[in-house]
Amino acid sequence: MTTKSMLRSIKNVTNGYSSAQVMVRNATSNDASGPTVTQMADVANHTYDRGEFLEIMDIIDRRLNDKGKNWRHVAKSLTLLGYLVRYGSEDVVIWAKDNVYVVKTLREFQATDSMGQDQGGIVRVKARELTDLLADDERLRQEREAASRKSGHR
Amino acid sequence: MFSVSRIGSEVSTSVKKACSVSETAPKRKHVRACIVFTWDTKSSRPFWDAIKVLPIQENDIQVFKALITIHEVLQEGHPSCLVGGYRNIPWIESLGRYSANQGRYGRLIHDYSFFLVQKLRFHREHRGFNGTFEYQEYVSLTAVSDPNEGYQNIIDLADLQDSLDDLGRLVIASASHNRGNECMISALVPQIAESYGIYKFLVSMLRAMYRSSEAVEALEPLKDRFVEQHHRLYDFYADCSAIRYLTSLLTIPKLPIEPPNLMVADNDPDD
Repeated sequence: MTTKSMLRSIKNVTNGYSSAQVMVRNATSNDASGPTVTQMADVANHTYDRGEFLEIMDIIDRRLNDKGKNWRHVAKSLTLLGYLVRYGSEDVVIWAKDNVYVVKTLREFQATDSMGQDQGGIVRVKARELTDLLADDERLRQEREAASRKSGHR
Repeated sequence: MFSVSRIGSEVSTSVKKACSVSETAPKRKHVRACIVFTWDTKSSRPFWDAIKVLPIQENDIQVFKALITIHEVLQEGHPSCLVGGYRNIPWIESLGRYSANQGRYGRLIHDYSFFLVQKLRFHREHRGFNGTFEYQEYVSLTAVSDPNEGYQNIIDLADLQDSLDDLGRLVIASASHNRGNECMISALVPQIAESYGIYKFLVSMLRAMYRSSEAVEALEPLKDRFVEQHHRLYDFYADCSAIRYLTSLLTIPKLPIEPPNLMVADNDPDD
């Protein structure tokens, strides 16, 4: 366990996050890798629980609005949200459509790391893809059907 | 929606930071905070209140950055931003009058505020359009059901496109004198988005008109104007593609060299 992930597990306790929220926080952390499919599938399963759903979206919303320094939070939350609208509950789709402006405005996201490298590109591309998907009901329906066939969910 | 950082009073901080004194682009994160705020609260009044009390009149750079911020909020913010904009037309006009023809930014500010006022007037008369002119099927349908109104719509859109074109040219010309002038260039970001939105609308509205109307000759002047605008827009995007700051930030639309065929339906492969 690195110092950072240790710190995160302490924060998880002190800030009183629920187990579903901890799951989201781990999946969208500042670590260089991830989120893994297992992590995302776990979160997707928990969106079918009404109470946990709101907790999960709360964390995703915060991560999406994080500052440029934490561009990994933003990029990973977009990946996770893209996964959830395909594999998660129908509520995720409704939430994402209601809050589409949060994703839409990320299409011009800017961030430079300490080396002066542009890191916003990945966020801009992901935000554009997700916005397009959310605007295309037909494609979204097809992708959700394909996803439920694959994962055996309903 | 939930987070603490988006409570009302914070919008004035974001406005202040977006319109700071430094000669850079308005920081996207602050502009975005303003946009997200208007959606969260479904209201634009706090935004307008905040930007109107900023002590920016003394500084050209701040006025120019305020205009860019307003433009982006009008485009991407909640529809109520446009409504709030109509009420503030006199104030936006006053920004342009103040610094006509003095300083490096004088002319830019004058023309930019003129354009924003024209844009707001357009939206007040044609409520069907959103801030970025994203394509909505129903608008072109109403145009077809009433050809006279459609004709007027197209003329008004083309007028707006002309002003946008003039403004874009002025920005490029002003910025090219001083290399790396990010503040001026950043004004092109909302302009590119808007001109492309208008362009797409013009194409599909003209096509709809051609399909439904019997008097094709009556549409000739519109078509001629469209073709001319197409060529100018093509040049404009080519100029923008040469600016690295822009290409790293957004994908600049690529138009075909020849204007698209207006006699075919929208979904045909040759689009």
